[in-house]
Amino acid sequence: MDKLSREEVLHVAHLARINLEEDEIEKFRVQLKKLMDDIDKIKDVKDYDEEMLISPVDHNAPLREDSEGKMLEYKTVMKNVPHSTGNFVEVPVMLNE
Amino acid sequence: MNNYKTTVGIEVHAELKTKTKMFSNSANHYGKMANTCTNVIDLGYPGTLPTVNEEAIHLGLRAALVLNCKINKHMHFDRKNYFYPDNPKNYQITQNRTPIGVDGYVLIDTENGKKKIRIHDIHIEEDTCKSIHSDKSSLLDFNRAGVPLVEIVTEADMNSAEEAVKYLEKLRELLLYADVSDCKIEEGSMRCDCNVSVSKTDKLNTKVEVKNIGSISNVGVAIKYEEERQIALYEKNETFKEQTRRFDDKTMSTILMRVKETGNDYRYFPEPDIPFIDLTDEYIEETRKNLPMSAEERRNIYLDAGISKVNVEKIIQNRTVSDYLNKFIGKINLVIASNLLLGDVAAYLNKYEMKLEDTKLTDEKFETVVKYLDSGKINSKIFKDIIEDIMENEESIDEILENHNIKEMGEDELIEIINNVLENNTKSVEDYKNGNERAIKFLMGQIMKETKGNANPVLVTTKLEEMLNK
Repeated sequence: MDKLSREEVLHVAHLARINLEEDEIEKFRVQLKKLMDDIDKIKDVKDYDEEMLISPVDHNAPLREDSEGKMLEYKTVMKNVPHSTGNFVEVPVMLNE
Repeated sequence: MNNYKTTVGIEVHAELKTKTKMFSNSANHYGKMANTCTNVIDLGYPGTLPTVNEEAIHLGLRAALVLNCKINKHMHFDRKNYFYPDNPKNYQITQNRTPIGVDGYVLIDTENGKKKIRIHDIHIEEDTCKSIHSDKSSLLDFNRAGVPLVEIVTEADMNSAEEAVKYLEKLRELLLYADVSDCKIEEGSMRCDCNVSVSKTDKLNTKVEVKNIGSISNVGVAIKYEEERQIALYEKNETFKEQTRRFDDKTMSTILMRVKETGNDYRYFPEPDIPFIDLTDEYIEETRKNLPMSAEERRNIYLDAGISKVNVEKIIQNRTVSDYLNKFIGKINLVIASNLLLGDVAAYLNKYEMKLEDTKLTDEKFETVVKYLDSGKINSKIFKDIIEDIMENEESIDEILENHNIKEMGEDELIEIINNVLENNTKSVEDYKNGNERAIKFLMGQIMKETKGNANPVLVTTKLEEMLNK
């Protein structure tokens, strides 16, 4: 198979919350398949019996003391907010809570 | 209709009682003006890095311990990816592969004895921002974004609405008494989602997740509603897909929500910004050793002290009262102490909408007054007369009694009163001598009336019996 299915492309588009035109769906069926084939090559790498690497550093996570630090001023927060109502950030209605 | 078996699994989110958030040092305060407790980490600004709150790990461990879980000593966090306005960095930091606790259990009381509800896992994560929805838009408050949570996931071990309610009540009690969370459902610091399915066989049918249930009793209502709804569909030979519904407390019904990402769609992967966290055996044992006294231990102490079952449950329902009472274990009569706290003291606090700590009732005063009641130096009527002074004035109990001119009556004075009462009630004296035990109660009442409640009732009883039996 050299292409993904139409449904698979639409599913990935839904997860990224983007709409695709018909010609784009066709284009991505090929491009995404190529991408996945490349990722599959990782499977050929020798599987070392080592602990999973989750971070580039080899020490444990430093823990932070539970004491309050400086917070952002309300006005500063709202500077980057395009729409607001009262003190709230306003966004298009979220049906899918 | 009755040959269907209900199966319920529950997910509970409980906010942890920390001062700051899970991955940032902004304040974890409920009830502040919207969007005033945030920083760049909570708002998901690019280039920011999370730092792990030590206390949140500590409270997560406590929760895992009281739920009898095995502890993942070598744990890390994962990113759960989804694209949604309640989480602007587009992933939630959670624990997918190495939850802090696994394979635990909670015991609930059922008609058939104790039942074990298995805990699949308990993991630590950050809360999303709070959203309020209207038809036209959604409003977001990022004060809640990043608040530390534990999510507690059961196996599908409950078979009725009643069992689910019992499980939640028990869980709430465990978390509350371990000082993990304040578990206020009405404030959203404890939230429940239920997975409900019904089946005529042992094979589980399609499950429905019900979210947004605002109280423990409504969990029962929602489960019963789902049972009936699903059975009605099967009876009509209809099937349905796995779905998420929300509970609507206005109609007491569940309403279909749109389908959200599940399972693989979240593309979990280890959070690269937070290296491993190792919990040492010493740390785990130290935490276990220092767990606050559980509700169950408290129940046993109170029952052993002779407090009635009803009052024990009333005390357990009110953590403040229980903590207060515990200060006096082994020092005073706990039955009298609990009667005061649940009776006159509670009535006073309700009347003036006050908390115990807002009053002038010191530990010393409480101890003294309970001892005086216990020895009969004062009676409950006197206590009622002086309670306002006890709660409002700095004076000691002795000073308050003196101000009210309440003195314990001297023995001579008491004997004189008893003599008078006996002389004026010869019929009752005769009745008593003829074996009518009730007559002594009448005589007691007359004496207490004459003494205006100032006599020590224990002393009155002794003296009266002595004089009657002469």
